[in-house]
Amino acid sequence: MNLLPMLVFGLLVVLGTGGTILERDPFAKLISLSLIAAGVIPFVVDRGYLDVAIALALIVPLSTFFLLMACRRDRT
Amino acid sequence: MTPEEAALTVCVVVAAYAGIRVLLERNTVKKLPFLNVCSFAVAGSIVLILPHPLTIIAAAAYFIGTTLESNAIASTYAGGIREE
Amino acid sequence: MQEGSHLTPEFLLGGFLILAGTVAVVFPRPKTYLVRIINLELPAWGLLLLMLAYNETLALLTFGGVSAISVYILVRVLQKTEGP
Repeated sequence: MNLLPMLVFGLLVVLGTGGTILERDPFAKLISLSLIAAGVIPFVVDRGYLDVAIALALIVPLSTFFLLMACRRDRT
Repeated sequence: MTPEEAALTVCVVVAAYAGIRVLLERNTVKKLPFLNVCSFAVAGSIVLILPHPLTIIAAAAYFIGTTLESNAIASTYAGGIREE
Repeated sequence: MQEGSHLTPEFLLGGFLILAGTVAVVFPRPKTYLVRIINLELPAWGLLLLMLAYNETLALLTFGGVSAISVYILVRVLQKTEGP
């Protein structure tokens, strides 16, 4: 991978980490967590592990749904 | 610069701009469109990173997964399905 | 990348993610269990990135599949703790 895409995806991971730690609303935390996934999956693709990337892209939203079940109980 | 590299640069710049805007936005609802834009740009750049026939399936899986995730977050934030 | 240095971008990002995530889990900002579970996703991503830096394909697949089940069990425990 070239330097610019690697730098930008690393920046995406760092921004997601900062957002997840600093935000106070649980929904904003989940949005920042999705930003981390957007930064990590191109690194998996760049190494050539396409089966891992497919499995990861289908399992990560499942994990977010399970967290949303707890968020709904917390809000009401 | 080949056309693939130019397209990858455009996708990556859009992804960086959307990622910065997600973090700088104060309202939680206004974060969601920028998250969608960031995910679209990343799904486009996944295709352009590695020339392989299976890459398009990975990009499609990521596209479907992240769109479903954003819609689930928005639907739960708006009040959920149970509305009696 | 067995020859050369081990300081690949995956290794550096994984180390940063696992350190910051562990500190965030131990000292969560609003001190609730939900925030702790959400912050627990950060070291999971860091561990996955660290496995990627050392080319462990089977570990990547297994950990990616099991992490969602672990989150489901933790959410069930949270609902049984705070429920009626």
